[in-house]
Amino acid sequence: MGAAADKLTGMVSAEDRFDIPHAELRELQIQALNERVQERRDHIKLLAHRAEEAGTREIRSLEDMVPLLFPHTAYKSYPEGWLMEEKWDRLTKWLGTISPHPIKDVDLNEVEDVDDWIDRLQAKGYFISCSSGTTGKSAMLIASQKDMDWSKIDTVNVFSWGSGVKPARDRLMVGCAPVATVPKNVTIGEAQKAAFAHPEWGRINYPVPPITVGSLTKMVVLRKKIAEGTIRPDELADFERTSKERQESIDAAVGITAERLIENRGKKLMISGLWNGLYQVAKAVRERGYDAKDFDPDNCIYVGGGLKRAQLPPDYQAFVHQTFNIPEGRHFQNYSMQELNSGMPKCRECGRYHVPPWIVPIILNKAGDALEPHDGKGELEGRAAFFDLSLDGRWGGVITGDKISIDYAPTGCSHKGPSIRDNIARFADLEGDDKIGCAGTIDAYVRGVA
Amino acid sequence: MNQLTEQTTASSEPVVNAPFIFRGELVEGREATHRSRDLGVTFATPKIQLDKVVHPRTEVPPLLNVPLAEIIDFLVETGQRMLAPDNPYMQECFDRMASTHILPRKVVETTAKHAVAYLDKRILRAEVEQNFPDPRALDEWVPKQDFTGRKSFVRAFGPRLIHVLPGNSPGVAVKSVAQGSMVKAVNLFKMSSADPFTMVAILRTMAAIDPNHPIVKSMSAVYWRGGDDSVERVLYRPQYFDKIVAWGGGDAINNVIKYLGPGFQLVSFDPKTSISMVGKEAFASDETLDLAADLASGDVMVLNQEACVASRFVYVEGGQADVDRFCVKLQKRIAERAAASGDVRPLDMELREQVETLMMMDDEYGVWGKPDGKGLVIRSEEPVDFHPINKTANVVRVDRLDDAVKWINVATQTVGFYPFDRMADYRDRLASGGAQRIVHLGEAGPSTIGNPHDAMYPLHRFVHWMAHEDGVAPR
Repeated sequence: MGAAADKLTGMVSAEDRFDIPHAELRELQIQALNERVQERRDHIKLLAHRAEEAGTREIRSLEDMVPLLFPHTAYKSYPEGWLMEEKWDRLTKWLGTISPHPIKDVDLNEVEDVDDWIDRLQAKGYFISCSSGTTGKSAMLIASQKDMDWSKIDTVNVFSWGSGVKPARDRLMVGCAPVATVPKNVTIGEAQKAAFAHPEWGRINYPVPPITVGSLTKMVVLRKKIAEGTIRPDELADFERTSKERQESIDAAVGITAERLIENRGKKLMISGLWNGLYQVAKAVRERGYDAKDFDPDNCIYVGGGLKRAQLPPDYQAFVHQTFNIPEGRHFQNYSMQELNSGMPKCRECGRYHVPPWIVPIILNKAGDALEPHDGKGELEGRAAFFDLSLDGRWGGVITGDKISIDYAPTGCSHKGPSIRDNIARFADLEGDDKIGCAGTIDAYVRGVA
Repeated sequence: MNQLTEQTTASSEPVVNAPFIFRGELVEGREATHRSRDLGVTFATPKIQLDKVVHPRTEVPPLLNVPLAEIIDFLVETGQRMLAPDNPYMQECFDRMASTHILPRKVVETTAKHAVAYLDKRILRAEVEQNFPDPRALDEWVPKQDFTGRKSFVRAFGPRLIHVLPGNSPGVAVKSVAQGSMVKAVNLFKMSSADPFTMVAILRTMAAIDPNHPIVKSMSAVYWRGGDDSVERVLYRPQYFDKIVAWGGGDAINNVIKYLGPGFQLVSFDPKTSISMVGKEAFASDETLDLAADLASGDVMVLNQEACVASRFVYVEGGQADVDRFCVKLQKRIAERAAASGDVRPLDMELREQVETLMMMDDEYGVWGKPDGKGLVIRSEEPVDFHPINKTANVVRVDRLDDAVKWINVATQTVGFYPFDRMADYRDRLASGGAQRIVHLGEAGPSTIGNPHDAMYPLHRFVHWMAHEDGVAPR
C-alpha cells in the first residue's frame, strides 16, 4: 500500500535484510508507520479511538507512535461471559473493533461451539489464532489470507538464515512440543514441511490431543464456573478425570517421541520444540542409552520461545544439542510471538536476535506508556513493543510483556542491523513475589485450573 | 535475591534504608537491597539474623505474666507517642513511605493516624471481651468444673506467631501489633515490600517508651522477599512458631501453604472483594439519588480503593435510564474524592485496554469518565471480567436486587446496602453465598468494635489453648 512500507516488506527474501544499519532505515520506517496510520485509522475502531484521544494526525517520530500501540492484552479484551453464553454475534462484533477489514457475510446460524465459529470465520477469510499453552483467557488474533501467505515465506526464510539449513527437502521433522491447532501454526508447519521435510518422511507430530481455541476456551469457561461456584461436583469430577487422562498422554508423549527419534536416528533430523519439552525428550533418549554418537552430525533444531517458567539445569541447552548431535551453527532459535507475523532469528555469529527491516522495534518504559529514554549509544533495555509492517489482518503495533535489551548499532558481527540480546525475560516473571494486600479477587479461591 | 541485588545496586536511583527489629533490638544495615512492588523503588536492609527472630520453646513468652491491663496501657501510650509531632520515627516513616507507597503521602499519613485510633483503652478492652468468653484466661489459669465434678484450669497461652503483613494498609500494622501483644504472643512480623517501614516505626516508638518492656522484647520485624526459600524453609516450622497469620492470596498464600502441617497452622485473612447493593428507593427523588451516589462513592474510595472493604461492583436496581443517571452522579463524586486526595495514579495499561474495548462496544456498556485514573464508572448487565481498581466502579444494572445475589461468592467481604431497611431481607442469602459483612451504604469502613473479621474471632484462634486437668472434686 504505502511506498515506504512496501519497500521495507519487499525485503522479505533479500539476502542482506539483516545487514542494513538502523540509521539507514530510520526515516523510511517512520514514513512507513505514518502510512500505516493513515491507511488504518479509519478502519480499526480501537485505533481511531486511540488516535483521537492522543490527538495524533501524523507520525513524525517513534514517540508519536506510542499511544497507538496496542497492548498484547487487547486481543483478549472480550468479556469472557460471551464465550460462556455463546454470544457469537457479540464476539464477532468485538473482532470488528480490532480488524481493519469489515467482518461481513459470516454465517452465525446455529454455531456449535468456538471451533465452529472460528471455522465459519475462516471460510470468509478471517483467520483466528490464539496464544497457546495457557489456560488463562485466550487471546484471539485475527489475520488475513495475506498474513498467512507472508508467514509461509517468512518462517522458511528465518529458519534458513538462522540455521544455515537450505530448503532441500531432505529431513525428517520431529515435533517435541504440543502446538495449538490454529491457522498460523498450521500454515507455518505446512510451509516448513514443504521446504525442509523429505517427501517420504514428512513430519512426526508430538503425540498429544490437539489444542484448539475451543479446548482452551473450555478451560476458561470451567474456571469461571468454579469461581462463581456454579459448577456441580459431578461435573468437576469429570473434568478432573479428563485432565488426568490429558496429563497422562502428555507424560507419555515424552517417551513416545524419544522412541521415535531413536528409531529414526539414521535419518537427518529437524527437531522442533520449546526448551522444556526438548530437554525432557533428550533426557528420555539418554536414559535409553542413546546420545550424540547415534545421531546424524548435520541434524538441526528449531527452538521457539523461552523457558516459560520451566526449571531446568544450567546446561540444558548443551545437553539437548549434545544428545541429538546438533553441530554449532545449526542451533536455531527464534524470537517472535503470536502477536507478530514475522520472526527474529538468532544470529549464528553473535548469538543475538536480529530484527528485520519491516519490524520496527519500539522500546518503552516498564509501564508501557512512554519511550524509554536513550542517548543512542549502546544497549537500551525496556519493555518491547514492535510494529510489524507485514501485518495486514490486524494492527501491526503491539506492546509485549517482554523485557528486552536492544542495540540499534552493529555489535560486531557481519550483520549491521539492530539486534536483541539473548536475555529476554517476561515482566510477569520478574515480579509477583510479594503482591499481598487484603483486597483480592475470587481468582485466589480457584484451585486446579490455574 | 542475589540476581535482584546486582540489578538494583547497579542502577543510580536513591536507596532508602529499612532497618529491622530483632526481639526489640534495632539493627540497621545495607547488606541487601530489594525492590518495592508497584513503584519500583529500591530499599536497603540488614541481613536477617535467623537465630534472633526465634524465641526458644524452653523459654516462656516474655509477656506471659504481664497483666493484660498493663499491656493495654502500654499500647495506648504507644498510640499517643505515635501521633506526637516530635516522634522522629513516625515522621521518618512517612517520608520513607512517600517514596515507596503507591498512595500519596497525605493518604498514607491520614490512614496511619486513623489506624492509631484503634489503640484506645475501651476499644482494646472490647476487642478482647468479644473474642474471649472469659478474658481472664489471658492473665491466669482459669478454674473450671464440669457437671461430673471434673476440675481443671484453662489458659489462653501466648502463642508464637508469624504475621505476614500486607502492604496496602498501614492500619493492619497497628492492629497486628496490638493483637499480638494482647494475646501475649512472641511475634515475628514479615513486612511487605510496599511497606517495610511502618511496623519498625511503631516498634521503635515502643522501645523509646521502655526499651526493656516485655512487649518490646516480644517483637521482631523483618523483610524478606515473599517465597524466599532460604528464609521460609528455615523459619516456617512448628518447632519455632505455632501459627502463621497471613493476609492476601495468590503467591503469598501458596508460598505459605506448602509449609503447613501438624503444629504449624494458618490463620488466613483472605483477599476480598467488596460490593454495594442499591435498591430502587434511591430513585425516589433527586435527593435520595444524590445521597445514594455519594454514599456509594465513599465506599468505592475507601483508602482510594486499595482496601478490601472498598466497593468495586455496585448493583443497582432499576431501568437503564435510571441506572445511568446514578452512574453520572457516582462518577462525579468518585472524581471529586480522587481529586481531593491528590491521587493521580493512572490506570495500568491492561485495565485501560479492557475499558477502552468496552467503550467500543457502546451499545452494551456505558462508560463515564475516562480511563485516566481520575475516576471511572462502567455500567454493564453483568459484572465485568476484570478487577475494578484505582478509582473504578462497575455498576451492574439489575431488575431486582435478588438478581444480584448470585454474584455473591466466597471472596465477597463487605456489602454496602441501600436502603437500610431492606438489609434484613438479604443478610441470610448473602451469608449463604459467602459474604461476611452487610453494612449501611457509605459505611464500609467502620465496624462495631470487637466484631468478627473474616468470618472468625481472630484472637480466639491465635492463642494456644492449654488445659491443666485437676482431677475430680470430692463429693
